[in-house]
Amino acid sequence: MGAKILEIINLKKSYLSGFSLDIEYLSLDINKILVLIGPNGSGKSTLIRLINLLEEPDSGKIIFDSADILQKTKEKSVFRKMMSVVFQEPLLYNMSVYNNIILGLSLRKIKVKQKKQIFDYLIEKLNLQSLLLRNPKSLSGGEQQRVALARALLLEPALLLLDEPLANIDQLSREELRSDLFNILKDIGRSTIYVTHDRNEAMILADNIAVINNGRIEQAGRKNDVFRKPANEFVAKFVGVETLIEGIVLECRDNVCRVMVKSGNKIGNKNSFHENSDYINYSYENFESNDTTNKNIYHKNGHKIEFFIVADAKPGENVILAIRPEDVVLYNIQMSHEISSAMNSFRGVITDIQDIGIFKKVEIDCGFKLVSFVTQNSIERLGIEPGKNITASIKASSIHMFKS
Amino acid sequence: MELIWQGIKRAFLLLFSGNREVYEIVLLTIKVSGIAVIISMVAGIPAGLVVGLNSFKGKRFIVSIINTGMGLPPVAAGLLVAVFLWRSGPLGFMRLMYTPTAMIIAQVLIAAPIIAGVTLAAIQQVNPKLKTQALSLGAGKWQVLWIMANEAKLPTLAAIMAGFGGVISEVGAVMMVGGNIKEQTRVLTTATVQFVRMGNLSMAIALVIILLILSFAVNLILTLIQQKENRTWAQRFWR
Repeated sequence: MGAKILEIINLKKSYLSGFSLDIEYLSLDINKILVLIGPNGSGKSTLIRLINLLEEPDSGKIIFDSADILQKTKEKSVFRKMMSVVFQEPLLYNMSVYNNIILGLSLRKIKVKQKKQIFDYLIEKLNLQSLLLRNPKSLSGGEQQRVALARALLLEPALLLLDEPLANIDQLSREELRSDLFNILKDIGRSTIYVTHDRNEAMILADNIAVINNGRIEQAGRKNDVFRKPANEFVAKFVGVETLIEGIVLECRDNVCRVMVKSGNKIGNKNSFHENSDYINYSYENFESNDTTNKNIYHKNGHKIEFFIVADAKPGENVILAIRPEDVVLYNIQMSHEISSAMNSFRGVITDIQDIGIFKKVEIDCGFKLVSFVTQNSIERLGIEPGKNITASIKASSIHMFKS
Repeated sequence: MELIWQGIKRAFLLLFSGNREVYEIVLLTIKVSGIAVIISMVAGIPAGLVVGLNSFKGKRFIVSIINTGMGLPPVAAGLLVAVFLWRSGPLGFMRLMYTPTAMIIAQVLIAAPIIAGVTLAAIQQVNPKLKTQALSLGAGKWQVLWIMANEAKLPTLAAIMAGFGGVISEVGAVMMVGGNIKEQTRVLTTATVQFVRMGNLSMAIALVIILLILSFAVNLILTLIQQKENRTWAQRFWR
């Protein structure tokens, strides 16, 4: 854990609208990128405004560069001058692009000469050379945001706050600017909070991720931890888990748990065979049975669906299983445990195929709804079509489990 | 028609023949209205900016006062000044009644609310997020004011035009507090009234034409500035 540039402790702010922000703890390590991700209206922008002292919280602490900046020991502008914000809108002024870019420097009474190196670097990386003399009004949305980014980055802030800077730009320019921006951030290594609702951006850019919902941090941690091990249903859905299954832990041995799927699952189970049936009967005696295979083959007429999961839990615990669609492998044949190292195999019927860009999203009814992402190539090779029987396999280590 | 033609001919004759009385009237008109507009700018533009950019208790009240001021009948402004400057009035000792200074004061009362009001409307049209962005860039109070004023610069020029147009063509107030004294407080409008009363219509027409030319010239200059601002921002600030 490195030194922290920013720590937010028990920060609270309520609005007349009824919305309230309540951040128990959130921190940013020096030179790391924290991606703050959450749906619209979750309080992401509010948090940025509070950090930038554009709004005052009801209570709490913001420790920035080792100072509690809410204590008003110095002018707000002193702290603001150590940060830069890029908002969703470019917010450029009615002056040349050049003057817009250097506006922050002008306000600090710093000559461009002193910043020549970073200035030239940014102009080149953000492709602004030919635009410097133009009025921002004559630029496209993407170009305007490049100017805004240059203006913010030129200040070489101790803390860079990017509030959905790419959200208002058309697709093509967005992808271009995203890669330019990410390269720059990697290059110059700034302490950055990047706000987005796009998990792809988070995936590419983040060192750490904080998932925010309804004014609260649902989970914060290293990128892979949040993506692979979501703490709850909301986070799981937000980071792209397509299959969520309610289950009960039967037993755990050597870090592998057997979990039985509850039938009539409320989540992710719309098309289940068992929708109207009762929970499958189970008893502990059953688990002690002679089922020594580590395989779990689902039969349409069978009653018990079990998962093997690398995890640690107590028998009887109610859990939710989270399965990422890219971890589900499809086979055309009936699987048996001799063939694969994947400990979970289910026989199911394909119910739906959707095009989602590079991948196809395949929904399979295995007694619970399972979603898999496969390529067009695989679709053709396996002859995947609705109504077809298929085997889906998931490694025990690819399934994440959390308490429900 | 003959009358109008004669008036126009007379006007140009007066302009180019160097009639001393006409020149004095024109010069005094420019001086009084010019000074009044400059004072009104100095008072009205910052007032409009400050009220427009900040939210505070009683803001609506202040805004309504400014808006009422924009529609203040010149006669009322004149009367107000007259009451104060009258020999027995509270400021009578200053002996300003029937002087150009009294006329300037009356014209400021007319023009300042117009300039403040239009500036206020202009600054409220500017995206308020630009203020947030300026603060976020580390701007202090005055820097924010400056940056935002820059955004409302072109409409503010329109405010100055409106103010100037309002006072140079005004007759009631300057008549009341200036008195239309020959060679002292006689301006284009009051002189025009005088000549009409005397039946000297061609002279009146001549003066009105001069007034129109004057008004047109000032507005033309401001318009040119406005257009030029639009075009050459970039070049001018390239270093």
